[in-house]
Amino acid sequence: MKRLSFLFVIGLIALFPVVHPSPYTLHIATLIFIWAFIATAWSYMGRFELISLGHGAFLGIGAYTAGLLFNNAGVSPWVGMILGALIAAGLAGIIGFACFRFGVIGDYFALLTLALGEITTLVLVAFREHTGGSLGFTLNKVEPSLWALKFTNKVSFYYVSLAFLLAAWFLWIVIDRSKMQKGLRAIGEDEIAASTLGVRIVRYKLYIYMISASVTSMGGVLYAWYISYINPHTLSGVGPSLDIAFKSILGGMFNLLGPAIGSALIVILEEYVRVVYGAKFVGISQIAYGMVLVLLIMFLPRGIYGSLSALFKKMSGLSDRK
Amino acid sequence: MTVLILNALVNGILLGGVLALLAFGMNLIFGVVKVIHMAYGQSVMLGMYVIYTLTEIYNVPLISSCLIAVIAMTLLGGLMHLLVVQKLLTANRLNQLLALAGLIIVYENFAQVIWGADLRGIPVFLPVFNIGEVFIKTSNLIAFIGSLVVLGLLYFFLHKTYIGLAIRATAQDVECARLMGINPKKIYLTTMMVGSAMTGVIAAFFTPIYSVHPHFGGSFTMMAFIIVVLGGMGNLMGGFIGAFVIGIVTSLTGALASIEAAEIVALIIFVLVVLIRPQGLMGGKQTR
Amino acid sequence: MLDIESIDVYYGKFQALFDLNMRIGEQETVITVGPNGAGKSTLLKAISGLQPAKRGKITFMGQPIEKFPPHKIVELGLVYVPESGRVFPNLTVIENLKIGSYTRRARVHFKPSLEEVFDLFPRLAEREKQIAETLSGGERQMLAVARSLMARPKLILLDEPSMGLAPLIVSQLFKFISAIKKGGYSILMVEQNVVKALKLCDRAYLLELGTVKLEGNREFFGKEEYIRQSYLGV
Repeated sequence: MKRLSFLFVIGLIALFPVVHPSPYTLHIATLIFIWAFIATAWSYMGRFELISLGHGAFLGIGAYTAGLLFNNAGVSPWVGMILGALIAAGLAGIIGFACFRFGVIGDYFALLTLALGEITTLVLVAFREHTGGSLGFTLNKVEPSLWALKFTNKVSFYYVSLAFLLAAWFLWIVIDRSKMQKGLRAIGEDEIAASTLGVRIVRYKLYIYMISASVTSMGGVLYAWYISYINPHTLSGVGPSLDIAFKSILGGMFNLLGPAIGSALIVILEEYVRVVYGAKFVGISQIAYGMVLVLLIMFLPRGIYGSLSALFKKMSGLSDRK
Repeated sequence: MTVLILNALVNGILLGGVLALLAFGMNLIFGVVKVIHMAYGQSVMLGMYVIYTLTEIYNVPLISSCLIAVIAMTLLGGLMHLLVVQKLLTANRLNQLLALAGLIIVYENFAQVIWGADLRGIPVFLPVFNIGEVFIKTSNLIAFIGSLVVLGLLYFFLHKTYIGLAIRATAQDVECARLMGINPKKIYLTTMMVGSAMTGVIAAFFTPIYSVHPHFGGSFTMMAFIIVVLGGMGNLMGGFIGAFVIGIVTSLTGALASIEAAEIVALIIFVLVVLIRPQGLMGGKQTR
Repeated sequence: MLDIESIDVYYGKFQALFDLNMRIGEQETVITVGPNGAGKSTLLKAISGLQPAKRGKITFMGQPIEKFPPHKIVELGLVYVPESGRVFPNLTVIENLKIGSYTRRARVHFKPSLEEVFDLFPRLAEREKQIAETLSGGERQMLAVARSLMARPKLILLDEPSMGLAPLIVSQLFKFISAIKKGGYSILMVEQNVVKALKLCDRAYLLELGTVKLEGNREFFGKEEYIRQSYLGV
C-alpha cells in the first residue's frame, strides 16, 4: 500500500512537466532534486551517527574534476563524474581509514572533517592558475547534448536530476537491506559492544563513508552543470558542508525522505524570501534561515519529518525505532 | 633570509598574544559550560563592526567605542546563552555543534545585511618602529601587551575571587559544586558573558590591524579550534602555549610561502593532533 | 530539625525508597545502616536535592525543602558530604576549603572557620597549598569533611565516610567525627561500618530494600538480636 502511493506520487512528479511546463517551477524543482540528492548521500552516513561537516570537499572534488576535464580536454561530465567519484572515494578512504583506525569518532570526527573541508577549499583556491581561485570558473559553452549534460530546455535537467534522486533513494534502500546496515546501527548505538561482537567497525564505517563521498561528488557535478559555474565557496568548504548537514537534519536524517523534505523546505524558503524581499535582502532570508535552523535543532532534534513520523508511530501504538 | 625569518618570528609571537586571548575564551567556555562556541570568531567580527559603526558613523572616540563594544558583546553573549545555549546543555554534542554553527549563519548574514559585504576599516595610524632589522608595528605591540594584561586580569579573577573559584570548581565537578551552594546556571551565564566580553576586547585589539568583513570571523574561529585542540580542550595553559605555537608557525609559513599555505599548515596540525593525540599537548587522560 | 515524611525516590522508573520516614533532632547524631543497595546513599541524595523525591515531604528547620535545588539547601545550612572523599581535584587544599564557604552566610566567617578547621585537622594545615588530587585517600576524606564545616552547617550529611580507607585511617576519621559531634553539629551519617558508627551515634535507623526496617537509640540497636547477628557478627 505504502509502496503504491509512493510510486503514484513519483508518477505525478514525473508527469508534471508535461502538464505544466513553467520554467520557473521546473527550475525550483530541479534545485530541490539536486540538493535532495546531495543531502540523501550525506545521510547515508549521518543516519548512523557518523556526522561529517566536510562534505563540501566532495562536492568540490566532483565539480572541479569534471569541470576542469570538460573545459580543458572536452571530457564528458559523465566520465568526469565517475572520475570525481573515484577521487572522492579515495580521499574518503584515506581520511576514513586514518580516523576509524585511530578511533576518532563523534564530534572529533565532525571537527576533523570540518578542517578537511576547509583544507580542500584552500587548496582549490591556491591553485588559482588552473582553478580560477576564489572566483572559480564557468563551464564552456557547447552544443546541447546528453553527453555534455547540456540542454536547450529545463525539462531535460528536471528529469535527469529526478532520475539521480530516485537512484539515491534506491541505493538507500539497498544499504538498508544489507548486512552493513545492521552492523552500522549497532556501531551507532554502542561501538564498543559492537566490536566485541565481531562487527567489523572500521570496514563498515569506511565503506559507508566512501559511498557517501562518491555519491555526494556526483551531486557536485550535477549542480555545477546546472548552473554552469563552479566556485570554491559555493561548491566546497564550510558553507556548503554545513548547508548539506542542515538540509538533512532539518528534514530528518534517519528517514529515507527526510533529507529530501529538508532540502525542499530550504530551497523553497530561500526562493520565497529572495522573491519577496528582492536580492538585496537575501541576507535577511539567511538570517531567518539560520534562526529557524537553530530553533529546530533545539526543539526538534530529529528533524521535521523524523519528529512527525515518530509522533505518528507513537499515536498508532507502534514502537519508535530509528 | 634570516631577517625575514626574524621578523616573522617576532610578529608570530605578537600575534600569539591575541590568539592566546581567543583560545582562552573558547577554553573557558568549553571547560565550564562544556560547549564549543562555534561562532567565537564571528562574535569578534560583530565587535569590530560595533567599533567601526560607533567611531566612523557616530563619531564616538575610539577608546569609548571599544569599551562600548566590550559591553555590547558581553550582553550579546548573555542573550545567546539564555536563548540558545542553556537549552542545549542537555542535548548531545552534535546538536550543540550544529545549533551554534547555525548562529554563524545568523551572525554573518546579520553583518552582511547591515553593513554590506565590503571591507570596513578604521584608519588608525600608528607608527612602525624597528629594533635593528626587525620591524614592529605599534598596533601589533599594543595588541600583544594588552592581551597579556587582560590574561593577567583573568588569572587574578579566576584565582583570587570567590566567583572565579566557583567557576573553576564548576568546571571540575558540577554536582559537587552544587553541594557548595553554587548555582550552576549562574556560573554558566557568567562564564558565557566573560567569554563574550573577551570577543569585544579582541575586537578592540584587531581594529587597528585588520579591516572587517562578514566572513572575517571564519578563519579566526577555525584558528581558535586549532589552538584549543592543540593545547588540550578546556586546558587554559595549553591554550596559551598553543596560541604561540600556532602564531609562530603561521607567521613563518606565511612569510616563507603564502598566507594560504599558512592556513593549510595550521589545519594539517589540527588534523594530526586529532589523529595522534586528541587530548592535545597538555591534556590529561584520553577523553574520546 | 529535619523531618522526612513518606518520601518515594525513583531513579527513572526504578523505585529506590518507599514511603520513608525519618527524624533528626537538634544536635543529634543519627546513623543509617543497612546492606548495599538498601538506599542509604539515595536517602542522602534525596535530602540534599541531588535526587529529589517524587512524593513526600522533607522539612528542614521549618522549611519544606523537597523541591529546593541543591544550592538553596546548602544555603539553609544542610550540607552533604558525598562518598569517596570527593574533592575538587585541581584545586588546592585551601581553595577547596574556601569554596566550602561559598554561601553568603558562610563567607563572612571564612577566617574563623578556617582556623577552626585547621585546629581540628592539623594535617590539612600542613598541606595547605597542595593540589587536592595528590592527597592520600584518608586526607581527601578529611578535606571533604573539613570543607563541609566551612559552610557553617547546621546539619551535616556524611555518606559512608569510612569507605575504602585503611582501618587506622578509619579510626582517625571517627575520632574527628566525634570531635565534630562535640562541637554541637547535628549529623546524619550513612555507614557500612556498623560497629564504629554505633559507638558514635545517639539514634540509628536500619534501612533495607528502601524502607526503614528498624529504628531506635544506641542501646536498643546494640541489643537487638537481628542487628547483632547480621551486622555485628555476634
